[in-house]
Amino acid sequence: MLVIRRHPGETILIGDQIELEVIECGHNRVKLGIRAPQHIPVMRGEVMLTREQNISASQSIAGGAIPAMLGRRARGGPVVPLLGEAPGVEPG
Amino acid sequence: MTYQTAHLGPITVDESSTIEFPEGLPGFEECRRFVPLHHPEHAGLLFLQSLERAELCFLALPVRAVRADYSLALSADDTALLGFPEDYRPALGSDVLALAILSLEEGRMPTANLLAPVVIHCLTRRAVQAIRPDRRYGCRELLEVEEAVCS
Repeated sequence: MLVIRRHPGETILIGDQIELEVIECGHNRVKLGIRAPQHIPVMRGEVMLTREQNISASQSIAGGAIPAMLGRRARGGPVVPLLGEAPGVEPG
Repeated sequence: MTYQTAHLGPITVDESSTIEFPEGLPGFEECRRFVPLHHPEHAGLLFLQSLERAELCFLALPVRAVRADYSLALSADDTALLGFPEDYRPALGSDVLALAILSLEEGRMPTANLLAPVVIHCLTRRAVQAIRPDRRYGCRELLEVEEAVCS
């Protein structure tokens, strides 16, 4: 990994289209400004991690175990909402 | 209103049961409206069904069902997105609900995403997948209470 020391106000160029500026340097966090073309997605590392995790988690229910479990226990009735008014029940 | 779903069959949902993610979820930014559902015989286990994509349904557990001592850590941005003052610390249970999205994969132990729980404002039902500013939990934490899912 390339490591570069920079002061606030200084920049780093990545290729000829991406510019990174150190705007502010606090006690335990830095504020960065990023200039990049529209087509280059810029996101925080943990958002990318959550994104990948969500995409893999969205396949969990398709795995078979849960639908089979639901089918086997269908006598227990359909799924019900966690919040709000119960279906078919008039408010009040 | 009745919605068709790919995994749970048709569901009838009142508006008051839906939650809205103003910014969607990472990876599913276009999906804003969901409904948390549960099955009477699978107490604890929740289904987070998209109302815009019939096939999109996450499995989830309340964070405290995964870690009994879980405490919330919201960034100022997420706190504001939920509609609270930035410096307010919403209380689990009374102000907000927090759900951990589960990952069940063939041949692997089930895990819960405790790094980025789905946090729901109890009154407005506005929701955000709030990535913790600290790194106290990971996005693949092993489930300690498997019975909650399997029993």
